[in-house]
Amino acid sequence: MRLRLRTHLGPKAAARPRLLPWRADHPPPLPDMPFTPGTARWREGVAIAPGPEWRQAGAAAVAVLPEGTRHAVLDARALRPEEAVAMAMGALLQAPRGFRLDLWHRGEDALAPLCRDARAVLKGVLLARRLTAAPGNALTPKIFARRLRRLERHGIGVQVLGRRRLRAAGFGALLAVGEGSANPPRLVVLRWRGRIAAPPLVLVGKGITFDTGGLCLKPAAGMEAMRADMAGAAACAGAMLALALRDSPAPVAAVLPLAENALGAAAYRPGDIITTLSGLTVEVVDTDAEGRLVLADALTYAVRAFRPEAVVDLATLTGAVVTALGHHRAGLFGNDAPLAAALCAAGEAVGERLWPLPIGAAHRRDLESGIADLRQCASGRLQPDACHAAAFLSAFLGGSPPAWAHLDIAGMAEEPADRPPGAAPAPGGFGVRLLDALVASRFEDPHRR
Amino acid sequence: MPDILFVKPTLPRAGALVLPLAEGFTLSGLAKEADEATGGAIARGLEAAGFKGRKGQSCTLWAPGGHLSRVVAVGLGAAPEERGAEAAGGAAWPLVSGEPEAMVAAEGLNAALAAALAFGARLRSYRFDRYRTKESAEDKPKLVRLTVASTEPEAARAAHAPLSAVADGVFLARDLVSEPPNVLFPEEMAERCRKLEKLGVEVEILGPKALKELGFGALLGVAQGSAREPRVVVMQWKGASKAGKGDGNGKAGPVAFIGKGVTFDTGGISIKPAAGMEDMKFDMAGAGAVIGAMAALAGRRAKVDAVGLVGLVENMPSGTAQRPGDVVKSLSGQTVEVINTDAEGRLVLADVLWYARERFRPRFMVDLATLTGAIIVALGHEHAGLFSNDDDLAQKLAAAGTAVGEALWRMPLGEAYDKALKSDIADMKNVGGRPGGSVTAAQFIQRFIDTREGPMPWAHLDIAGTAWATKDSATVPKGATAFGVRLLDRLVAEHYEG
Repeated sequence: MRLRLRTHLGPKAAARPRLLPWRADHPPPLPDMPFTPGTARWREGVAIAPGPEWRQAGAAAVAVLPEGTRHAVLDARALRPEEAVAMAMGALLQAPRGFRLDLWHRGEDALAPLCRDARAVLKGVLLARRLTAAPGNALTPKIFARRLRRLERHGIGVQVLGRRRLRAAGFGALLAVGEGSANPPRLVVLRWRGRIAAPPLVLVGKGITFDTGGLCLKPAAGMEAMRADMAGAAACAGAMLALALRDSPAPVAAVLPLAENALGAAAYRPGDIITTLSGLTVEVVDTDAEGRLVLADALTYAVRAFRPEAVVDLATLTGAVVTALGHHRAGLFGNDAPLAAALCAAGEAVGERLWPLPIGAAHRRDLESGIADLRQCASGRLQPDACHAAAFLSAFLGGSPPAWAHLDIAGMAEEPADRPPGAAPAPGGFGVRLLDALVASRFEDPHRR
Repeated sequence: MPDILFVKPTLPRAGALVLPLAEGFTLSGLAKEADEATGGAIARGLEAAGFKGRKGQSCTLWAPGGHLSRVVAVGLGAAPEERGAEAAGGAAWPLVSGEPEAMVAAEGLNAALAAALAFGARLRSYRFDRYRTKESAEDKPKLVRLTVASTEPEAARAAHAPLSAVADGVFLARDLVSEPPNVLFPEEMAERCRKLEKLGVEVEILGPKALKELGFGALLGVAQGSAREPRVVVMQWKGASKAGKGDGNGKAGPVAFIGKGVTFDTGGISIKPAAGMEDMKFDMAGAGAVIGAMAALAGRRAKVDAVGLVGLVENMPSGTAQRPGDVVKSLSGQTVEVINTDAEGRLVLADVLWYARERFRPRFMVDLATLTGAIIVALGHEHAGLFSNDDDLAQKLAAAGTAVGEALWRMPLGEAYDKALKSDIADMKNVGGRPGGSVTAAQFIQRFIDTREGPMPWAHLDIAGTAWATKDSATVPKGATAFGVRLLDRLVAEHYEG
C-alpha cells in the first residue's frame, strides 16, 4: 500500500485509471453525469461526486475501479489539501493489499505534512489488520509479543512480562485465563514518551489470540472468527505505531494482556475463584467471558504503573453489544463525559462510529457474588452482558479512578456480510484511526491544563 | 387502594405513625410529641437502630409506648425532593399496611412533598389479588386510610389531586397488564377502554370489518391466526379545545400516543420456546401504558388535546395463521415480507402509526411497545430504549423519564441499519437479523412515519425490559410496572399544557 505525491503525470501515469472528484459548482467531467453526492461511475477513470464525506467518496471510487487495478491516480487538483488527503485515505483503506495511489495536486506546501501523517496512520491500520488476520497458530501470545518487539525500531519502548513475572506480580486473572493453553500468556507494555511532560494516556487492548471459550466451549460454527479476538490489542499496537511514525508530542502507553483461551487439563473452571492483581476476588461464572478477566488485571496495572491522565480500553468483548448495536457502531462505556464526548467526536470524524451505553446500579448489583467480591458475569438468557462487562471492568480502576472509557468493538472486528461502502474491509483495524484522532484532538496540546 | 386524607397535625390515638426524616434530623412537631408521650422511646429506638435518615433507610419501632402500635421511620436523604419523598412513601407502605390506621407526620415537608409522599405510598400499595380465592384476611393489607398530617392540608390535598389521577392511570395499566390472556383479549381490552368515557374521553372501537375496509393489512395478518378478533381503539381527550384553547393547541394538532397491544404472543408459526412463554401476557404493556396515560390526563383534566391509539391482537399459530414468507400490504401501501411471525409488534404498530398520522395530523407521535428481546440484551431492565427522529422530542422524553423514575436511554437510528430490512420480493422484510435487533425494529417502524408532507416528530420506546419487574422497588411492587404512564403524563404536563 503506497501513497505518493505528484505535481505532474508522466505518460505512463497518465494512462492509469484515474479517480476524478468534482464539486457541484464545477462542470462535470462526463457530460451526462448529474451531480449526486456519493455517486461514482467508471469510464476512462472514475468520476465521483462526493458528498460531505471525502473519505467515503474515496472508498466508493475504489469500489468501481476495474477489477485487478493495482495502481491508480487521484486527480486532486480541484481539492483542498485536507480534502485530497481524506479522499486518498478513504481509497487506500478500501483498496486491496498492495494498492498504490498517486496523488496529483498543484504543489501546495500544506500537502506534504498531511500526507506524512496519513501514511503513518495507514501503517498503523495495516499493522492492526495484519495482526488481526493472523490465525491462532501463527499468532500465539509469545509470537504476538515478539512481533510487538519490532516496534522498538520506531522509538517505542517495549516491555514483555512472561509467566514467571506475571505470577510474581500477582496477575491472577490473566494467568487463570491462560492456564488452559500450551501457549502461556504475556503482558506487553508499549511506551511512547512524546514531548509533553504530563501523565500519559494509557490504552488497554484485549489480546486473546484465540478464544475457544475454554471449558464453556463455543459452538463449532463460526469459531474460526475467534482468531480476531485480539483486535483490541492489535488496534492499540497500530495506534502506537501511528503516533510514533507521525512523531506525536503526546505521551501514550499501551498495556496489552495476551493469552490464549484454550481448554486443557489445567484450564480454569466455572465456579473457580480468582484473586486478581487488584486484590479483588472474582467468581468465574463462564470461562468464555475471559476478556474482562485479562482486562481487569491490565487496567489495574495501567492505573498503578502510570497514574494516567486517562485510560481507554478496546476489546472484542461481548456478543451482547452486537445484538445492541450491530456492525455499524461500537459500544462506548465510561466514567468521564468529556472523554466520552471526545471519543464520539473522533469516531465521527474518522468514520469509526461509537454509541454510548449505560453502566447502571442494577448492572453492578447483578454482579454481586455470594462467595467472592464479585461475579464475572450474570447467568441466564437475555442478559445485558455488554453493560455487565463494563460494570465489571469499572471495579478495577482503583480507589480514585482516572477518566476511563471502554470500547466494546465485538461488532467491528470482522466484516459484516453487508458491509456498506466506506466501512473498512475485513479485518478492519477498527480503532486505530479513532485513537489517533483522539490523541490529536485531546492530548497533543501542551497547555491543555 | 387506601384513601389518602390530609389533616392538621394531631397525634393519633392508635395505629402506626410514620416519620419521614431527612439526614441530620431532630424530632419536632408530631414526632416530638410522640417521643415525649413515649418517654423518649422513639429517639432512643432510632438511635439504637442506627437510623440516620439516609435515602432508602427505614426502621420500625414496635409498641414504643403511648397508644401507638408501631412507629416507622423512613429516610428522605440529605435534601428532600420529589422522588425522594415518593420513595419514602413507597418504603413506608409495606411497613404499615398491616395496621388498620396509619398517620404520616409530614409537617416538616411542604405541600408538594407531602403529596408526593402520599402518592409514593399509594403507588406501592398496588396489588393484583383478584384471582387469589383462598388468601386469608391476615395476609391481606388492612390499611384502608392513610392520613397525612400537614401544616397546610388544603394545599397538600390540592397538590395530591392530580397525582391521584395519575395513580389511577397507573393502576389501570397495571391491571390490564396483569390480567391473564384468557381473560384479557382484544375485544375485552377494547371494552375496558370504554370505561374512559366516564372521564370524558371519546372512545371509538374499530373491529375487523372496519379495519379491513380501511386497509390495515399488516395488523390483520398478525391477527388472522387467532380465534379472537382484533380491535383498534381510538381514544380522544380534548382538554385544550374544551378549555377554549383550541387555537393554540388545536392548530398544532393533538399529541399522539400509540401502543402495541398483543394480548398474548405465542410467536405464531415462528413459535416461542415454552419456557417463559407465560410472560407474553404482558406483550400489550405498551397499549396498557397508553390507556393508563389517557386515563391520567383525563382524570386530572389536563389542558391538552391528546389521542391514544392501541392496536389489539392476539398472535396465535393455527391453520389460518400467517406464515413466514407471506407478503402483506400495510395501510401505507408498502408491502412487507413476513420472515418471522414473532416480529409481529412492528406490523401492528406500522398500520396504527400510519393511521394516527393520516387521521389526526398530530404535533408528534410517541409509540410504546414491548418490542424486542434485543433491547434487554442491550440495556437490561433499568432503562427503556428511546429511538427518535427528533432530538428535541427525545430530550423532552428523556427528561420526563428521569423526573418520574422511568428512565430512557437513547439508541441510534441510521441508514446503515435500515439496509438490513431489504427484501428480495417486497418493499421490506419484517426482521433485520440479530445484530442491532432493536435498532432495525425501530427502522422498520420509522418507515411508517409519514414525512412526505413535512417533518413528523416521532419517538419509539422499546419497553420490553421495563414493563415487568421481578423485584419490588420503592414505588413499583413486583409485577406489571405500568412503565410509560407517568412518563407520558409528565411529558404533557411539562411542555404541552401551556
